[in-house]
This record gives sequence, structure tokens and C-alpha cells, in this order.
Amino acid sequence: MADSACPTDSRRCNYFFLYDGSKVQEEGDPTRAGICFFYPEETPLEQQELLCGQLAGVCQCVSELSRSPVRLLRLRGSKFAVRMKDHFLWAFSCPPDIPDVSVCKLLDQLISLFCFYNGPIRQSYQLHSRADLALRWARYLTHLQGGSSELHHIFSCLRTIDSTHIDPLLLLKAALILQACQRCPLVLAGCILYRGRVVSTQMPPDLTVKVMVHETESYSQQDHRPVANGISSACGTPSSSTGTTPVFLTPAELQALCCPPVNRTCRSHCTPQPPPRPRKSRLLSRTLSDTPPSELDAAKLDPAPTPFLCLSDESCLSPCPSSSQATTPEFSPLHQSENPCTTDAESHDHDLSNEIASCELEEEVVRGKMANGCSKKVELRMDQSKVEARGDLILQNGNGCHTNGYHQEPASDHHSDQSSGDEPPDTSHLKPLSNGAEMPDKEEKKKKEKANIKKDNQERDENRQANMKNSGRKIEVKDREGVGDGEMRENGMGRGESGEGESSEEEQVLLPRALYQHRVRALVLALLVEPHFHSDQAAVEEVSHSSLASLNGLEAHLRTSTPGGPGPHGPYTFAHYDCIQNTLTTNLSGRSVAPQDRSFVRATALLHSHFSQTQTLQEAIVRSAGAAVYSTRSPAQETYFLQHATSVRNSGIPNHLDSAFSLPNKARHRLLKHGVNLL
Amino acid sequence: MKCLLVASESAEVLFYWTDPEFHIRVQEQYGPTSDDGEGPQHAFEDRINTLFAPIIISCSTMVDRLRESYTTFCTESNDIYVLHQFEECLYIAVNGDGEENEDDLRRKIFVIKKLTEVMFGMVTLSSTLLRKELRPQDTEQRRALWRRLQGLLETYSRLREQDQSFLVEAVERLIHPTLCEQCIEFLERRLVQQLNSSAERAGEEVQHAFILVHTKLLAFYSSRNASTLSSSDLLTLMLMVQHLHPSNPEIDDSSPEDIQDTTADPEVFYTPEPSPPEHPADWCSPSVELGRTDMEAPMFQFVDPDIQMAEDSLQTLQMNPPDPATPTRVFLETTLKEGFFPMMPHSMYSLPLWPGITLVLITKIPSSQVAMSIYHFLETVAKLEKRLKDGQEGAVPQRGHTPIQDLRSKMDKFIRVLGNNEIQTSLLQKAWAEFKAKAFSRGGPGLSRQLVPYCRNLHTQLCGVFRQCFVSGSCSTQRLSPSLQDRALTMVQDKLLDWKDFLLVKSKRNITMVSYLEEFPGLVHFIYVDRAAGQMIAPSLNMTERASSELGKGPLAQYIKSKVWSLVGTARRYLQKGYTTVTQRDGDYYLCYFLWFENETGYKLEVVDIPSPPDSAPIGMLAWDYYRKLLRYYSKSHSSEVVKCYELFTMHLGVIPSDYVLQHCSQLARKLWEPSRIPLL
Repeated sequence: MADSACPTDSRRCNYFFLYDGSKVQEEGDPTRAGICFFYPEETPLEQQELLCGQLAGVCQCVSELSRSPVRLLRLRGSKFAVRMKDHFLWAFSCPPDIPDVSVCKLLDQLISLFCFYNGPIRQSYQLHSRADLALRWARYLTHLQGGSSELHHIFSCLRTIDSTHIDPLLLLKAALILQACQRCPLVLAGCILYRGRVVSTQMPPDLTVKVMVHETESYSQQDHRPVANGISSACGTPSSSTGTTPVFLTPAELQALCCPPVNRTCRSHCTPQPPPRPRKSRLLSRTLSDTPPSELDAAKLDPAPTPFLCLSDESCLSPCPSSSQATTPEFSPLHQSENPCTTDAESHDHDLSNEIASCELEEEVVRGKMANGCSKKVELRMDQSKVEARGDLILQNGNGCHTNGYHQEPASDHHSDQSSGDEPPDTSHLKPLSNGAEMPDKEEKKKKEKANIKKDNQERDENRQANMKNSGRKIEVKDREGVGDGEMRENGMGRGESGEGESSEEEQVLLPRALYQHRVRALVLALLVEPHFHSDQAAVEEVSHSSLASLNGLEAHLRTSTPGGPGPHGPYTFAHYDCIQNTLTTNLSGRSVAPQDRSFVRATALLHSHFSQTQTLQEAIVRSAGAAVYSTRSPAQETYFLQHATSVRNSGIPNHLDSAFSLPNKARHRLLKHGVNLL
Repeated sequence: MKCLLVASESAEVLFYWTDPEFHIRVQEQYGPTSDDGEGPQHAFEDRINTLFAPIIISCSTMVDRLRESYTTFCTESNDIYVLHQFEECLYIAVNGDGEENEDDLRRKIFVIKKLTEVMFGMVTLSSTLLRKELRPQDTEQRRALWRRLQGLLETYSRLREQDQSFLVEAVERLIHPTLCEQCIEFLERRLVQQLNSSAERAGEEVQHAFILVHTKLLAFYSSRNASTLSSSDLLTLMLMVQHLHPSNPEIDDSSPEDIQDTTADPEVFYTPEPSPPEHPADWCSPSVELGRTDMEAPMFQFVDPDIQMAEDSLQTLQMNPPDPATPTRVFLETTLKEGFFPMMPHSMYSLPLWPGITLVLITKIPSSQVAMSIYHFLETVAKLEKRLKDGQEGAVPQRGHTPIQDLRSKMDKFIRVLGNNEIQTSLLQKAWAEFKAKAFSRGGPGLSRQLVPYCRNLHTQLCGVFRQCFVSGSCSTQRLSPSLQDRALTMVQDKLLDWKDFLLVKSKRNITMVSYLEEFPGLVHFIYVDRAAGQMIAPSLNMTERASSELGKGPLAQYIKSKVWSLVGTARRYLQKGYTTVTQRDGDYYLCYFLWFENETGYKLEVVDIPSPPDSAPIGMLAWDYYRKLLRYYSKSHSSEVVKCYELFTMHLGVIPSDYVLQHCSQLARKLWEPSRIPLL
């Protein structure tokens, strides 16, 4: 959190510009007519023209020769990620040591950010003045490069709250609030942010990033909220306010939110499977120990290592790739046992300490069970190929969705014993293991309550589909699986490449939705809602009432929890990147410039780009005279590790006693206490 | 889709090469070539020019206005464009089929640069002259020269794709110590001695003699007073020999089993395809198939020069049909007691003993003294120019042995000597006179910045004289007499007659993985390189349709090959950033790379921080000797001992525990250390 306040600490962007070639067609047209935005804005106009003119010309020429738009352009001292579409050309330059993938990803993020808030690019330049839009570009640019370390740039990851210093139950609470909001049929998904960092999110990482811009923006402006962006309404006390902003989603994004691939996947894959015993216990264990927003962080608290778990066993608990479900699966069992609390979420009067107490209780139970799970897990992992692991992701996703309740479609009702729309399909498996005795009772209570909701859900789903069709995109149920899969790859695994072809088509159709924001001091609840949400007074009230008190409570707790320094320091540096949730855990502080750290960042950049180029690469050790770095990756994560002070001089000749080759072992042991499991 | 283009700053095409796909792509874009009277070749050249002109012009604008230059473009379809500027020439390499990466393309650019240096020597030091040399005014000459360069480039690409020694850019030797030793002795005691004592050598002196079996070196001998042949030059010579006498992969495929079995008429398999496209077409190459050219030349004389024609036989289009015994002029680096000379003229005679086996003689030409003087002057003038640019000005001291006075007296003398040798020196004389008038006249500015253009001009004229003496066609009369060449050929043929078949087989199965399997279970492949000697050892990886290798046939073998190739690429990428050890678990394999230093007794030296190559030069030995620079850098801190540098690439099965893999690697390094010490001399 400390570094959230220093926006331009590490300014990595040298130049960024948007050039509209359609404005410079004739011989006499000045180049400046085509320059829509140029950063840094203080650059002399002549130089702006020179750069834009040359780059645009040369890119045009190359793309004609190759019949494919230019993606990357390198100069001796810098590199430009380039995006060409219609007559527009975006170019974003950074120093050459940032990997190609990262630069391209940054530019794509920037462009999609703009489209998210302003709609299609051509249209927005017709509707608004250049100066207005320039302000926005500048804002998005600042947001993207603001306040994070070089490592964050390499992975272009989400900034999450440092959950090592936060009671995990607060994170649960956040997830609860989000789920409560989703009861309103007009709410698609949401996230909770605190001081520019993610506390909990239901959206895919790409979307979360976009939502965060608005939050950061309004946070920095504190009380004077932005009016520039349209329907901004205010209510409540100075410390608490709400507002709505129009936003634009791509069909793929919307689909990810509305129609997750999971129901189908789950139906076709889960049910026929013999009920897998071992995973249930783990499901539970994770429930309590793992908290949604950054499961890595949460995992730190958990002696039982988690990340591999989610890949190795088919358990539905994972840093679930696509969409909102990420947060909820872990949450659901708690939801059951804490039934009153969930239902109370609406009446928003809830005592947090109560929750904590009961959770702790259950945690005890679960810890015991975890041991079994762990030993099983290793076996499972052994005989699972990567392909299966990949399949698992989808599968997990499936379960995740079910647990998430709001997505329930009529079809999923064939799980006979879980008629409640809010119940995860796995409950049936869960019962015998978790505190079985109390569960059924609670469920029955719930059933009644939830019956209504279920109806709502059904209606809502129909609505949504109708909406989608209206938007000119027909969604066939049959296709969902495939689309969802692709989508997931794009969001989670995609290294900026997959789905690009798709997106270029998709961007032509942007679907208007709205972003509802409820701020309580530094805490923000951001919800993606249907466009008419704002006008639906009942819905607004429902949401705001259901969340207000809980938000207040959460804010108070977050405020009082001490930020603390970065995690436990040891004689090593590590970075752990979760490709699916797009989060980073590291013990490297943003500002450190020790030579060891420099070489760590350098090696990480190299290895990351190597990983992204070579899909089959699983682990690597590289050593220079000064430092040896070990890295390993699975489909879901990448881990980098450097051991300090092992500068015992060596010759570089192959020698198995060499300290560099003991790094994998060291990493495995050391990182356990950070919740990173490499076993 | 591949293309390589050399252009001047004014967007004039100085040389281009395209593969058929690129050719088609251009035609699609512009419609089929219309004959505009100057031939389709010309029209195509124009199109290439039109296509690339915006890039070239933008490039020079960027250099002029921003002091920046483009190095790479990548498109969404993964086409790669690599650009590199040498002096005033811009090189652009394009790949659109995914077969080459950025490093490969940059390497190609450096290789073509190296080839021009070996072909044109110090002429390359002047951009103006190099431009003229690469693009002769005469269309036929130009076509012939481009054809030759294109052929060399294609040969290089083929070798880099197929041959491990060209992959790692180190010489591979045939491992047969006894025969090797015998041959060296034969070259020394019999061949070179006889040649150098013959009266028919016309003043030339054989400096190096070596025997190549395909791309592998059987024996190498350098005469006592010769400078050592650098690895970079040796590899380039091998490339040129391969271009002159290509080992036809199709035919070679039938080896080695077929050869062993059918002793009846092995020639059938090894006779290179006599069809014209296979035939190297260069005007100053020694085409040793005597009489063939002379007989064929008239037959094509009246045929219209269409494309097919141009590809078929360029010899017919040449100005003067080459004498087959004419050597190739090559410019090689020499270090003599007088100093270091980067591009000294030599003659290369490549005499095919049998298809696939070639004897190569490198001779020093009698007038090389002139080249040394020219290089000396060029260096002095360049130093002076730099000093003047840095602002160190002043009056010329009238007396004393200052460098400038030294230059004056030597240059005067040099011009006199040249004049006596019937060399056109008027331009040089004029430039020198102007220089003197500025620098030495009493009222003149003396040594000042104003002198810089005169330095430039002098520099250019010196290169011009060099061109006149060593590069232009008139110098080709100088050579060992054809009968002497014949005698040399017969001598070596007699010597190796019994070994011939063995050698051809051996070159395919130099060392085999089988012999290592017992000791290193799980080892799939390795490459060991001694960078100080520029030599490598690796089990053979034959990727041909018909001959199955130990790895089996088809996709698996092909896959392993591609892994080995990408391992070398990866290792270079990390080495460039200073990483000397890289291990990777990649799919089902465990790949390792190590680079280390030793002293002569085998004592392992410490790793140091390794400097990055300047200007993104590729890591290798062929085009730009990175390892020599590395060794020199390392030696600075170890001045008391001879430093050696080794590299080891290994590929293991992934199921082998990494501890064992590493143990293997260290044992392998120890085991391979011995054979690599077979003396090259």
C-alpha cells in the first residue's frame, strides 16, 4: 500500500502516441493533423511530427509488404509496441530491457482501457474533442505505469492488497459483500478495492484492471467526483458516495460475465466422474485458509501449500481463471455453515467478530483434514499430464461457477438435492465430510429463502440472453463451452497473443454497460451493472442497502489493520506470478536497487519472455558471474528465485555440487512460508 | 518468404536476394513482370526498390534527425524484418515463414558483410567504392556478381540449417588421429614443399593447405612463416568451397550404407548433378571441370536472357569466360611481424579430389607488400582524421620524425613505386597533392578541421588503388600454373585413393552417440566446442530422408534436431546478457549449456562478468568473432597464462534426475577435453 501514493516513481514509458492516418491523406495535410495524442505532451511539436510521421509511414510500408499489421518495432535505444487498426496507429515505447510480451500487453491494456470508458475509438473522437480525450489518455497512461515496481511492469499484473497483514476473514467478508450484491439481477459482477488495490474481485483480471482506473481516479480526487464522464450521481454522506459511469464491454468480456462456460463443462465432466473423495477435504480446507482476492497472499498464512493443489487435484478450488467465480468457490462452504450471515448480508447488519469466531472453529476441523489431502495430492500430481491440468482448469472453473450461485441456470437443477440456487453443486459431496450434521438443517432453511432468488436468476438469465441477442451477437448455448474456454485462455493464460484475432473483430461491437461505484472513504465497491440499473431505483437501493453497512465495517477494519512492511525477508529474493489471477507475490520491494535485486529483475525479465516464447519450457536455471536465478512454471504460475550471498566463486564448468543447482531445493523449502508450493 | 537487401542511403539497391515465395509475393503485389526491354531481372529489381524505398528513406531520416535507427520490425503474422546499417549501407533481412528468428537474420546480415570483406578486401572500407563494387554499372557483370553472392548466401543458409559446425560456427574435424596425422605430414613434407619449390608457381607461395570432406576438416597444414588462419576466415573459406563444390544432399543421402555395399560404382552416387542450376556460376571461380565451360559456353550464346536462362547458366552471360584454373581472390586476416593486417590478398585454389573431398590451397600473392602499405596509409589517415575531428589541431612541425612527416615521405615514395608498376595513380596523386597543399604549405591552415574532407578523399583514393591492384578483373592472370595445380591434385588423389570411401562414410558418421550411451545413459545429444581453437565435436545428426540415424527417422529425429538448434539459440541469447550457465527442462528433455575458461594445463578459471557484444553483433565465430573478443577480454585479468574457452551443450531425457544430468555433463567435459587437443597444425 505504501507505494500506491507514488504514481510516477518508475516511469517506464518513453513515448506514447495515437496517430490517425485518415487525417493525413493528401499531400498537403500536415502530420500534426493526425496526431490525436502524444505523450510526453511537452515534446516539441516538430519532434512529435517526426516520430509519428516516420513510424506511421514505415509501419504502413511494412504491413503492406507483409499483409499483416506491425506489432513491434525496435530502435537501437528503445522499443515500440505498435497497434494498427483501421487508420489508427498506437505506439508505446519503453526501454529495451522490458520484454516484448510485456510491452505489447501494456499497450493492449491501454487501448482496451480507453475503449472501456469511451467506447469505440473512432466514435469517441467524433463525439469528443481531442483535448478532452487527451486528458483521458494521459490518465490511463498514468494509471498503468503508476506506482508499481519494474517487476509489475514485466508481468503487467494487478495490484492486490497485501493480505499477509490482513485478517483473512476480512477478505471473506469482501467476497460476501460482492456475492450479496449479485443477488440483484442487474448486477453482473463486482470488485472491492481499497486504496487502489484489489481486495476481492469477481471479474477476470483484465476487467478488474479497467475498473480500477475509475476507482483510483476518483480516489485521488477524493470528494469532488468526476462529472466529466456522464451520469455521475451522488448521494450519501461525504465519506460515503455512489455514482455510475457508462462503460463498454467487448462481447467476449460480457460473455465471460454472463455465460460462463462452466455449467456445461461441469455437467458433462463432473457428474459422470466417480465422486472423488480426497478432494473434498481439500475443498474445505481451502475454503477457510484461502481467501479470494489473491489466493497467494492468503496462502501465506496457510501452512499447507496451495498453488499446486489447485492444479493437481481436480478440486474445484483454484485461482479460478475466468471471471467472477475466482472469489466465490472458496467462499461457498463457509457460506453454508455461516448461513445466517449470508442471508443477513441483505439486511447488512452483521457482526464481523461473530463470523470470525465461527470460522476459526471450523478452521480447526479443516486443518486436521488437510493432512490427508496433502499426501494424496502428490500422487495425483504424478500421474497427471499437463493436458489434464489444463482440462482441470476448465473443470475448476465449472465448479466455481456453480458455487457462485448467481449463475445458476435452470439446466443445472438436475442436481436434485441442491435445489437452492445459491448452493454449490458440490455440496452433496461435501456434506459427509464437512460438519455434516448441521448442514441439512441450514439448507432447508435456506431453500425457502432462496427459492425466490432462483426465480430471479432464471429471469435474469433470460434477460441477459435477450440482451446479448439485441446487441447483435447471438450466443448459442452449445458454443459456450468453447467460447468460454478460449476466453479463459485469453484472460488468464493468454499472453497477449491468443484471442487477439478475435478481439480485433470484437472491438467493433462494444456493448454499453454501466459501472456503479460505492465509495466509503478509501474503500470502493465497484459493480458492473446493466445499463438501466441506474434508473431502476429499487435495484439501486437494494444494492446500496445490502452493502453499505458491511462496507463500512470492512473499511473500518482495513483502516485499522497495520500495513506493515513487505513480507518476511530472507537471504533470497523471489517473485511468484499467478498467470490466471494475474497477481504477483514478491519479497522485493519496489524501490530497492541492490545489485542482487537488479540482476534478479533482469533475469526474471529474460526468463519470463523465454517462458512466453517456449510453451514447453518448465523450468530453467540461469547463472551469470554475479547471480543464479531459478525459475519454474506451470500452466497457472511462474516462480522466480534467487539466493543471496552465494557468491562462492566458481568456474562455470559443469559441476553438480555447484550451488546454482541446489536452487530448486532451496526454493521449494524457502517459499513454503510464503505460501508458494513448488513441490 | 525470405529476402535480403543491401541498399545505399539513397535507396539504391546494391544487392538483393529473395526466395521463390518472396518473389511470388512481390509479383502478386505488382502483377507479373513485364519485359521493359531491360529484362525481367531489371524489372524485379525496380520493384524491390519501390517496395523497400519508404523503409530505407525513413531509416536515414531517423538517423539524421534523431540519431536513432530501426533494428527490428515484427508483424502480427510474425514476419520479422531486421535492419542494420554498416557505414552508409543499409542491410535489411526479412523472414515471413517462421524458419528464422531475429538472431538468424542479423547473423545473415553479418555473414553477407563478412563475405563482401573476403571478396573485396579493403575496398569495403570506402562506402563509395563498395557501392560501385556491389553494383557494377554493367548489367551482365552485376548479374554475375549478384548471382554469386546469392549462391553464397543460399549455401550459408543451407549449412546453418543442416550442419552442426555451421550452427555453432566452429570447425568440425574428422576424428581419425592416425590418418589425420599422416595427411598433415603429407601436406607438409610432400605437397607444400614441392609446390613452393616449383618454378611454375609464378611467385605465389602456398601458405595453407587443407583437405575437406564435405564440411569436415581432415587435415590442415600452415607453412612455417605463415600467419595463422583465423577461425572466421577458415569457416568462410569452407563456405566458399561448399558453394563451389556443393555436397548434394540428395545424392549424399544414399550414403553411407549404399557405398559400403555397392563397391561397384560408387562414383555414380557421388557425381554431382551435372545440371546447370547446381553449377556454381561465378566468373572468377576456378571451375575445375576442365573444358566443360568452354564447350558449353557457345551453345547458350544466342538464347534470350530470360529468367530461366539466368538461372541456368550465367557463365554464358559473362564478359570473359573464366579460365578454370583461375583462383578465387580472397582477403584474409594476417598477423605478421610487421603487424596486424585485416584484409590481405590471397588466392584460393579449391581442387576437388573426388566429389565431396576437396583440397584447398591458400597462397600469398607476390604483390601483397603493396596491400600492406595501403593498409598502413589507410590506418594513418583514419587516425589523423579522428584526431582532427576531436579537435586536436596545430601547425605541422617542419622537421623531425612526427607521424605526419613520416606519412609524407612514405606516401611520396609509395606513389613513385606504384607509378613504376604501371598502376593508375593519377587520382591518388591528385588527392595527395591537395592534401599536401592544405597541410604542409606555409600559409595553409596546417592540421585543422578543414583537412578532414581531404583525409576522406585520400582514404577513398587509397581504397581505389587497392581495388585496382587486387580486386578488379585484370589481376586474375596471376596464378599457379594449371599443370602445377594438376600435379598437386594427382599427388593427393594418389595418397587418399584407398581412403576415399572410408572418408566419405566417416564424414557422415564422424562420432556416433552409440559410443557414449553406455557411459552416459539418458544422454541424447551433445556439442562440445573449444572456442580458443575454434573447433567442435558432436555426434552426427543426419536428418535425411533415406538414411536413418541413431535417432531413428522422421519426426522424432527432426524434433531432436530442432531442439538442439533452439538450444544453441537460447544459449546465445543468455550469453549475450552475461549468463554462462543455462539449464532448462523443456518438454521431455533436459537441456544444459555451459561456458567456462581454463588455462592451458586445464585448470578451471573463475567466471567473470561477460561484456555484451557491441551493436547487437551475433555471437559466433563466422561473421564476427565474438569469442576472440571474449578471450581477449578475459586475458586482461590473466595476462600471465594462456586462456582457453570451452562450451558444452547437452540434451538429456527429462526422466534422468538433474543431479545425474549434471554429473554427466562434468564427466563429458572431462572426457572430451583430450581429443580436442589434436594439434591443428
